[in-house]
Amino acid sequence: MKPKALIIPCSGIGKTLGSVARESAFRVTEDLRPETSRLMPLSLLVLGEEDTRKLLASTPVVAIDGCTKSCAAKVAAERGGAVSRALQVSDAFKRHRGLKPDGVAQLNEGGLQLAQALAEEVANLVDQMDGEVNNA
Amino acid sequence: MPELPVRKVGIISCSGEEMPEGTISRLATRRVLETLQPERTVTICLPLFLAGGEGERAFARHYPTIAIDGCEKRCAARGTEMYSAMPAASIVVSELSSRSSDELGTARRLSDQGRELMQATAVATSEIVDRLLGTRAPIQIKTSDSSASPAKTVVSCSCGAGIPVKQLTIAGRETEVAALPVIYQSWQSACRMPHQGISAEMLKIVKVYNPIPEDDEDAWKQAIALDYARFCSEKE
Repeated sequence: MKPKALIIPCSGIGKTLGSVARESAFRVTEDLRPETSRLMPLSLLVLGEEDTRKLLASTPVVAIDGCTKSCAAKVAAERGGAVSRALQVSDAFKRHRGLKPDGVAQLNEGGLQLAQALAEEVANLVDQMDGEVNNA
Repeated sequence: MPELPVRKVGIISCSGEEMPEGTISRLATRRVLETLQPERTVTICLPLFLAGGEGERAFARHYPTIAIDGCEKRCAARGTEMYSAMPAASIVVSELSSRSSDELGTARRLSDQGRELMQATAVATSEIVDRLLGTRAPIQIKTSDSSASPAKTVVSCSCGAGIPVKQLTIAGRETEVAALPVIYQSWQSACRMPHQGISAEMLKIVKVYNPIPEDDEDAWKQAIALDYARFCSEKE
């Protein structure tokens, strides 16, 4: 079944905020909205394969970036994706100051809770989407 | 060649969040950076080649790279080649073991077998680093993920791993020129002064790190000559 939204997280491997982005994406697509969202790895977009491009062009994207370089949002848009919402973990942290993330391979409790808070925000966004790309 | 930052090996990992082999690539990369070859390795994440500037794209032109991919799609190896330069070596995790993907756990949580394969991938990568750099550094292999807490290591990662760049106006356009700051330093240290002009040799070195359209070569020469003169006068 075609998902209502593609969730594209930052693929950074060196920083905590990238890990929070990835963990949020896992929580949305596996725990909170497994039926209506799908995780799309950023590296697949780099190659631009036909199947990936078709799915990207026809499904709204929620990009979750770790830092202001905004690789997820930029690459998705560059590859023809309709980025419906571009979120930053750093903004989520500002909204949840008490959840201080740490760790990369293994997030601390603050990082996991921040990922959960962000995942719930993304899940709400997914609920508001109808799976169609508005080309108007 | 200018003396660019100390010679290291760049490790570029698949980000594959869809499969355990992608997680293995990523964690193996971190294991190499943090434990097996700290000081001798850096990383950059694949999408930065697209989202970043010339500094990021010049990454693989300067550092010999090892691409670690989760599956036969080889996004990291192919992406590196497409946007930077051919990797010096390539590892595909799914080819290192006969175990099925299911046995390795999930992308989110690796099984014991998945963690074993991660360790094997890290060791294989570390051996390639030794081969590429030609010397063997003492390595300490940890057999368990969760045992003793490792010393805090600063990992050279993504955003800071690109080549230094300088912004110049060339033929009326703002252009990021990769490696220029270190090329200037190297040139000045060799007492090659700007009044001698920007030689074909200097342009050749700049070209290693920057794609220069043939028609624009004169404009690049002119802009670099002016900027190098400014650089030298500031250093006096």
